[in-house]
Amino acid sequence: MEEKFINLTLKVWRQKRGEKKGKIETYQAKHISTDASFLEMLDIVNDDLTIAGIEPIAFDHDCREGICGMCGQVVNGYAHGEEKGTTLCQFHMRRFKDGDTIFIEPFRAKAFKVVKDLVVDRSAFDKIIQAGGYITAKAGGAPEANIFPVTYETGELAMNAAECIGCGACVAACPNASAMLFVSAKISHLALLPQGRPEAAKRALAMVRTMDACGFGNCSNERECENSCPKNISITNIARLNREFLAAGVLSTAM
Amino acid sequence: MQLNSNVPSGPLKDKWDKHKFELKRVNPANKRKFEVIVVGTGLAGGSAAATLADLGYKVKNFCIQDSPRRAHSIAAQGGINAAKNYPGDGDSIFNLFYDTIKGGDYRAREANVYRLAQNANNIIDHCVATGVPFAREYGGLHANRSFGGAQVSRTFYARGQTGQQLLLGVYGQLCRQIGLGGVEMFPRRDILDIVIVDGCARGVVCRNLVTGEIESHSAHAVVLATGGYDNVYFLTTSGMHSNVSACWAAYKKGAAFANPCYTQIHPTCITVHGDYQSKLTLMSESLRNDGRIWVPKNKGDKRSPDQIPESERDYYLERKYPSFGNLVPRDVASRNAKLACDEGRGVGNTGLAVYLDFSEAIERDGEDVIRAKYGNLFQMYHKIQDEDPYKVPMKIYPAIHYVMGGTWVDYNLMTSREGLFCLGGANFSDHGANRLGASALMQGLSDGYFVLPYTIGGYLATQSLTNVNTSHQAFKDAEKQLTEKLDKLMNINGKRTVDDMHKELGLIMWDYCGMARNDAGLKTAIQKIQALRAEFWENVSVSGSRKDFNQTLEKGYRLADYLEFGELLARDALMREESCGGHFREESQTEENEAKRDDEKFCHVAAWEYAGEGKDPIRNTEPLVFENVKLTQRSYK
Amino acid sequence: MNWLVRTFSCSVAKKQFMAVTGLAFCCFLTTHLIGNLFVYGGKDAFNAYVEHLHALGILIHVAEAGLIIFALIHIGMAIILYFQNLAARPVRYKKKSNAGGRTLASATMPYTGLFILVFIVVHLVGLKFADHSTTTTFDLTASVLSQPATLVFYIVAMVVVAFHVNHGFWSAFQSFGASHPKYTPIVRGFGILFSVVIGVGFGFIPIALNMI
Repeated sequence: MEEKFINLTLKVWRQKRGEKKGKIETYQAKHISTDASFLEMLDIVNDDLTIAGIEPIAFDHDCREGICGMCGQVVNGYAHGEEKGTTLCQFHMRRFKDGDTIFIEPFRAKAFKVVKDLVVDRSAFDKIIQAGGYITAKAGGAPEANIFPVTYETGELAMNAAECIGCGACVAACPNASAMLFVSAKISHLALLPQGRPEAAKRALAMVRTMDACGFGNCSNERECENSCPKNISITNIARLNREFLAAGVLSTAM
Repeated sequence: MQLNSNVPSGPLKDKWDKHKFELKRVNPANKRKFEVIVVGTGLAGGSAAATLADLGYKVKNFCIQDSPRRAHSIAAQGGINAAKNYPGDGDSIFNLFYDTIKGGDYRAREANVYRLAQNANNIIDHCVATGVPFAREYGGLHANRSFGGAQVSRTFYARGQTGQQLLLGVYGQLCRQIGLGGVEMFPRRDILDIVIVDGCARGVVCRNLVTGEIESHSAHAVVLATGGYDNVYFLTTSGMHSNVSACWAAYKKGAAFANPCYTQIHPTCITVHGDYQSKLTLMSESLRNDGRIWVPKNKGDKRSPDQIPESERDYYLERKYPSFGNLVPRDVASRNAKLACDEGRGVGNTGLAVYLDFSEAIERDGEDVIRAKYGNLFQMYHKIQDEDPYKVPMKIYPAIHYVMGGTWVDYNLMTSREGLFCLGGANFSDHGANRLGASALMQGLSDGYFVLPYTIGGYLATQSLTNVNTSHQAFKDAEKQLTEKLDKLMNINGKRTVDDMHKELGLIMWDYCGMARNDAGLKTAIQKIQALRAEFWENVSVSGSRKDFNQTLEKGYRLADYLEFGELLARDALMREESCGGHFREESQTEENEAKRDDEKFCHVAAWEYAGEGKDPIRNTEPLVFENVKLTQRSYK
Repeated sequence: MNWLVRTFSCSVAKKQFMAVTGLAFCCFLTTHLIGNLFVYGGKDAFNAYVEHLHALGILIHVAEAGLIIFALIHIGMAIILYFQNLAARPVRYKKKSNAGGRTLASATMPYTGLFILVFIVVHLVGLKFADHSTTTTFDLTASVLSQPATLVFYIVAMVVVAFHVNHGFWSAFQSFGASHPKYTPIVRGFGILFSVVIGVGFGFIPIALNMI
């Protein structure tokens, strides 16, 4: 598609640090190349705001190639924008038409407090991983790598789950602000691998409990998460979490 | 400055074992009495923090992002090397060592590189034990691929996101330690000064990026693992927050900076468009296993690629380097792309691109096979360029991707400042003048999991360190100095935005210190950088408040450091009057336009020492001695 | 016993309670529908079926007690989940779009559930607990359903039940973790079929009664 230049109206959520309330402000984005990414569009708007003496819009970002999971906003009601399987940094302005109005809001959840403007605190995800999203292994004690054979198919399934970038789009998109897709991706990744089995029961219980304590909502199988996930992580992982949890809670000796 | 590499004596293959034996150890009960600050949570920093905590040290770990899982190691795509010899194609530790030292154009320390090759196999074992889902064969064992100029298949990979999977493995280990209380995590912090007490690094001063507060933290040793300085070029494949500030602060506190001119240009990046562009995106060089690079034979051929017949295409890498073909090392591939474009044979709107063509591979193996290997890369390309690479050849061009230079360290990874260590991409140690593909991940994990945990014990066990806390005058002084600097920046109220000036710096660096450098250009660059730096302190605009979440201010002080650092890079490039690896001096090339080293004059590390504000830095050298390999002109013909 | 509380108070366990009780109701709906099909056999056949059912004695009371307990669990959990979910997002989006997962059925579960509860109350009061002394169950049912408002209410309620079951059926399997590339498509297909059968099967009975 040929590069074009478009003008847009932005309705952006502004919220000062430390304040509980914010509001939507309206800005104009002028002469935006359709080849620019969404975040580059915001860079341009921010430069204009700076020159105009208005504080730029705060938003998180880092790698800008769709892998670090730092960026994320709800654009026109879609986490990371409307394009499937895409992070916001890889979402391009060619998806918009000249004159469009775009709503830009932060990921909203009780567990993701707004830090400022579009920046939210996702440390709840770290807490969940700290509760058990790992395999205990000391540096120096590992057996030969090929000692655990993993069938190709299982490896692929584990990798599908392991691709999670921890961006929080699943929470943002879920009508209940549930973190089940995120939690299930880690539980699945590790439960599928033989190295992850010894701690599987303990892990499932601890991670689910921590998830609950962080204030996320409950899964009601609405499938908005998998449809918003930039890495296309499937809700079959949530099913695996559910059965891992059931087995851990009822059959295992883990308390 | 006296630079002692502390490389142990003895045969190459026994050095590390001997050294480990000779290092003093800290009694397990005493470890908890030592506090260690680790800056960075990438492969090097994260693995070091987790391992040190597991050993019993009290660790404080800092990162810029909101979570340790987002460090830029995550963006590495292709893989990680190890000499497991799983495919049975004749690999060995010595072979990996040899390839790495040759690939680095003989500008790295033999002992460090050999240790790296030795540790590589342990890294794979440990990563697998921590749950990294490397690709498997149908039989369930690990799959390997050839990568980045190696003639054996020694690269372990997890689709096109090996860095992500390795980092998440490290992040898991780190999280475990955070949960257990061994590591105290400080996310969203910028380390802006290193505090020295009695000649030893004893703490850091940082800015809390959420509240804007200046915070001090004390420890018995400080470890920097802050990654590379490539963003001095503005448009790079690095994360937007990657910066040189912590290493630059260390430099000013006595940690020499080595070989800053060794920058790596990655041959396969998505091409530049528009001046609003913030970031370049890498396409893994694993693509060169199946993709063929070509340009039209004739200058200014503007036909679409499918209209150009085979006979009018120039597969220049295959033509010039028949034995390596499209798999030549990165510096060679990059330079040849530049040559082709300089000759006017570049493609695309800007003429600054070459084709990476998969049509033959798709015809040979089928689209499904290609999709299974590179699906996510193709998808990424499609999204950015809005062209389907299954149908139209990719357009690629070299871009700044990695830097081999960094803070000088000895064999123990300690800088020239006592008690200050530097790991991973932030140090200069293992890649010489050019890094081979799939080696960065290996170095980060080797340093963090398997080197520092031993060597830092050797340091701590032999020191009689007094207890220092943040009420010490040295911390107060550093805080005051930093506050003044930030206030000064906030009060300029000029007319140019930080990004605008950063882009200008980036262009100066790219034009004069990019893929090809020469005496006159480098001198011009130094002048231009000095002028831009002067303008910066008079005409930059930083809005908002210092005591708030302020991303413009963050960018501002990072750029202030880059404006000083950029000059050092250019000076280093100017003084190194030879071509080696990623550093190509136009004055020093063979008749076939290949990089020509000058081993007589430049077989050394250049370690720059800070001489004080407004004074020219001092260039110290550490000679490189090669006892196990013979220095040859690299040839990939 | 601490583990018991800790395990079953978790979000995942709550969903599993919803699933097990929900599937039990699906079984109930199936038997209820089979029983109701006697309507098509005419008045005598239907009344004979009712007699037969009542003759089960204690068994029927056990079943009823079971249904009440299941209903209390299902409704109780639903209320807890509903308010927890509401609390999990205190500030709502100004603009929210459907990413493609949500269906009308899934989005309305709490509301269709509430409607079904109202229906059950009306249904029980109007038929089960009505005075059976002067009439047969068939006549009572026919007369209740001959009122146009009740007729419409019953038909609408059955459509609502169909929606509720449509999301609930596969969802119950998902909550138990019964997911498999070979069988999940069958479960999902069966769930849709089942919801249609329940909706049409029950929904047509009031119409049929008025036509007989």
